[in-house]
Amino acid sequence: MSAARQAVALVPRADPDAAAVRDAQRDHDAFDVLYRRYLDRVYAYAFYELGDHHDAEDATERTFLAALRALDGYRPTGAGFRAWLFRIAHNTTSNAMRTRRRRHTEPLPDRWDAPAPDADPATLVARAEEARRVLRAVRDLPEDRRRVVLLRFVDGMSSAEVGEVLDRSPGAVRVLLHRALRELAARLDR
Amino acid sequence: MPTDRTAADRLDEAVDALIAGHPIAVDVTLRPALHVAQLLRETLTPVPTGIRFQAGLAGRLHAPGLGERTLRAVGSPRGRLIAAGAVSSAAVGVGVTAYAVWRTGRRHGGASHRLLHR
Repeated sequence: MSAARQAVALVPRADPDAAAVRDAQRDHDAFDVLYRRYLDRVYAYAFYELGDHHDAEDATERTFLAALRALDGYRPTGAGFRAWLFRIAHNTTSNAMRTRRRRHTEPLPDRWDAPAPDADPATLVARAEEARRVLRAVRDLPEDRRRVVLLRFVDGMSSAEVGEVLDRSPGAVRVLLHRALRELAARLDR
Repeated sequence: MPTDRTAADRLDEAVDALIAGHPIAVDVTLRPALHVAQLLRETLTPVPTGIRFQAGLAGRLHAPGLGERTLRAVGSPRGRLIAAGAVSSAAVGVGVTAYAVWRTGRRHGGASHRLLHR
């Protein structure tokens, strides 16, 4: 383990999921709490990675089933349960992407339909178009930069947590994020 | 404040503040990147899952053994043999039933046909 990663592991951190994890380890039915807490976030990560609802559902299901299977062996270290769960999600989506490459299929084109009930139709259309441009640009980023962006913004993870998920030091994650945002700014003419 | 922080460190700190909804202050050179960060925050919104999917997965999490046991069994050589046997038996059953239905239909159809031409 590198010095930077050791330093992160040594920082005492209160995991907000600790109690729920202990309950779920005692009784697997209590995993429901963690499932409901993270279902939408894991699904969103899988969806933005894979660009397809069906594949995202499949990856989400595999993630939670694998997490439940491995839960008894989970020990709280480093960035906590959330990073552990997203590491499983990351591995699952990586496998799905490898399978997709073997099948030579492409993800669906970008999609964005977040509701904005207070906006007038013209604003809605403009926002949707801008969002599509942003998603296209994110999708075209190199894989490591795209993953950092998704984990950082879809779930609001810190660089240390993203590092735990991707097995990188927080410093490396910060550099990847910096490069990704600069690249996106150039592509989007910002 | 340490002065040797890199642009990546300063941007990361600004993104932390953005995500937390705190006021942000960055130097001019980082503004375009931070503007993109703001766009990403607005665009990469949660994607709700379907209710049927939620319920189905919740059910499988409460009885995770069933699906996995089946998959494991089918994955083993003995399991594959049993599964192949079960599928073959089912196929034979479906075939025999279909043939019987076809024969019965043909017989009845033939009888009425003969009656009509009598």
